Amino acid sequence: MPQALSSDNGRRYVPIRDYAAIGDGRTVALVARDGSIDWLCLPELDSPSVFAAALDADRGGRFALEPEIEAKVSRRYLPDTNLLETTFTTGRGVVRVTDAMALPDAELGPTRELIRRVDGLSGQVPMRWRITPAFGYGARTPRLERRGVTPVATDGPHALAVCSWDAGEAQVADEAIFGRFDAREGSSALIALCAAHQEPLVFPRREDVEGRLEATSAYWRRWAGQRAYGGPWRDAVIRSALALKLLVHAPSGAIAAAASASLPEEIGGERNWDYRFCWVRDSAFTLGALLELGCPSEAEAFFWWLLHASQLTHPRLQVLYRLNGGERARERTLELHGYRGSRPVRIGNDAAGQTQLDIYGDLLQTALVYTQAGGRLDRETGKRLAGTADLVCRIWGEPDSGIWEVRRESGHFTHSKMMCWVALDRALRLAEAGHLPRDHESTWRRERKAIGHFIETRCWSDQLGSYTREAGREELDASLLLGVLLGYDAGRPDRLPRTVEAIRRELGRGPLLLRYSGDDGLRGGEGAFLCCSFWLADALARIGQPDEATALMDELVTLANDVGLFAEEIDPVTNEFLGNTPQGLVHLALITAAVSISNANAS
Amino acid sequence: MSIWGALAGGFIGTLVLTTALRAANELGLTRIDLPFLLGTALTRDRARAKALGYLMHLAAGELFALAYYAIFVATDTSGWALGALLGLLHGIVSATALVNVLLPAVHPRMGNELTAANSSPLLEPPGFLLRNYGRGTPIATLLAHVAYGAIVGGFASITG
Repeated sequence: MPQALSSDNGRRYVPIRDYAAIGDGRTVALVARDGSIDWLCLPELDSPSVFAAALDADRGGRFALEPEIEAKVSRRYLPDTNLLETTFTTGRGVVRVTDAMALPDAELGPTRELIRRVDGLSGQVPMRWRITPAFGYGARTPRLERRGVTPVATDGPHALAVCSWDAGEAQVADEAIFGRFDAREGSSALIALCAAHQEPLVFPRREDVEGRLEATSAYWRRWAGQRAYGGPWRDAVIRSALALKLLVHAPSGAIAAAASASLPEEIGGERNWDYRFCWVRDSAFTLGALLELGCPSEAEAFFWWLLHASQLTHPRLQVLYRLNGGERARERTLELHGYRGSRPVRIGNDAAGQTQLDIYGDLLQTALVYTQAGGRLDRETGKRLAGTADLVCRIWGEPDSGIWEVRRESGHFTHSKMMCWVALDRALRLAEAGHLPRDHESTWRRERKAIGHFIETRCWSDQLGSYTREAGREELDASLLLGVLLGYDAGRPDRLPRTVEAIRRELGRGPLLLRYSGDDGLRGGEGAFLCCSFWLADALARIGQPDEATALMDELVTLANDVGLFAEEIDPVTNEFLGNTPQGLVHLALITAAVSISNANAS
Repeated sequence: MSIWGALAGGFIGTLVLTTALRAANELGLTRIDLPFLLGTALTRDRARAKALGYLMHLAAGELFALAYYAIFVATDTSGWALGALLGLLHGIVSATALVNVLLPAVHPRMGNELTAANSSPLLEPPGFLLRNYGRGTPIATLLAHVAYGAIVGGFASITG
């Protein structure tokens, strides 16, 4: 449905729901409905930004491209691709902008290349574009100059060239590179933002840029066409797969939790986090989803990245790692205004230093999924995973910060204990299948039983009719749905279905779920956590309620934005998106829920 | 004084020069990448260009070491100090003429003073004192060449 776009110059912040994502496996740009690119980090997704208007409208920098007159906007991704198509319908004609991050080819091309093609469809539409690069999260003012006729922006090791064809004369002013032109019917203008890092700039030719745009489109169509999913909600599943592929850091196989940093979970609040890291927690879902969708090479790459990254901290796991496998994720705040005043603006993530016991279950579940799909674990890897299981036996009784990374004193979170149970259960299964040494099997079995006893005696509430968020406390937690998804079973199979009902009853807001009840050590509140809603649909399918699950899923997929993407959270009253976007865990949960419901309906 | 010493110095000096410029890259002082600039003269393939560029740079390092050696023989003097002085001269010539003027003139993918509307060069030219690649480029380049010259001079005299 087209929506009106004002020609007002006083633009500040657009709704998070307005952002679409384009990327090339190294970085991701967020494109707003009005044609402005408000977020881009170079040369990698976790590098400092060159455009961060989403976090500071004044100093962040952006790349605006829009009609000079009022327009109605409609958008879509070109089918089965990550090329974004924005159509502006004005009183004087219609113009279409195609945005993509180009994938490299054999030609000598820029290190990173963002391409914007403007096609005049009818009439004559006055267009304007303006690039205000602001390297280093807006902290640095670049030098703007020319190399021949080409405007360039440079700052230390970073450089950008603005190559344009039929897009008007490029002007260079104090802080911006800009131009204007008329898009006439049948015309095609092209602007390529070419980035270099620690090397000379490459200025591409128009035919090379157009060739890469076509080749990029063809690659995405081919990749999406190879995905093996024929169940319901296919469009949502394939869009989720394409969104996840954007979050895969191509050189390492790591998957970023989201493309952005510090988009707030509460407008004006302090819950602003950097998600440009790979969380071990997402690993089992990631591997499962990649295998379900027929992405064996991506699954293999991810699994080996996970083992490689965790090698340095073995047998302990860090909660999250850098996309290149590094450990350092030091959190700091930036002097930025914040999205609609949401401060502090954080980069880095101190959750890396927390103790979170559940991730050991995620690692061993990932290994099990990998081997069940035909993957082989070498002897050394088997010994390492056995060492992880031994560690779980020693530490499962310790308090931790839990899956939601609470920033208060640690607690005995039920979900964490369940995942420790899962860790030892998977270790036993892997050992029985010959993938892990069997020396400590009896210890693993004994401790698995002890964890089950702890959960059943300390973490169940007759009053709530549910497992609780923490041992001995009368609070609920949507993460307990994962107990259903991962097959926790310590001898009381009646309790998880009752927990599912209690969570739905107490934490539900229409089709949505809040994460938990109780304190998390932070001021303010937050929206409904979208992945929990998909976990609920998944859990309903697994406990024998496929019709309920289908109805819920039907509602949930309609909550995506106009191009099929989800942010981390959603306001249950206004449906406004909250938090970082697009968020991988939501799209992973959507895929696994669709597969579960499809399987449940089939059986 | 030995030609083999000069050649060994040329090899090690080129490694040091390349490493120093790479370190300057990492420190954000410059975007210069000599192997990339040299390799793209032969191929449009980015990875192959870098590999070829390293070989070409090493070969050029040996040729310059021979030129240094000729000067050592002609002056009947060698040592790290004269080498460093020659390196300084070498760096200045590189920044003002060799990479700034000569490379764009012969590089098939780089713009130069004669480039007009009928061609579309792919590579950013270095500019005077190579400053297009960052304001720290002249000093990083000069220091790296001084180190190269000192190593060539030192090796030539040690083995003599």
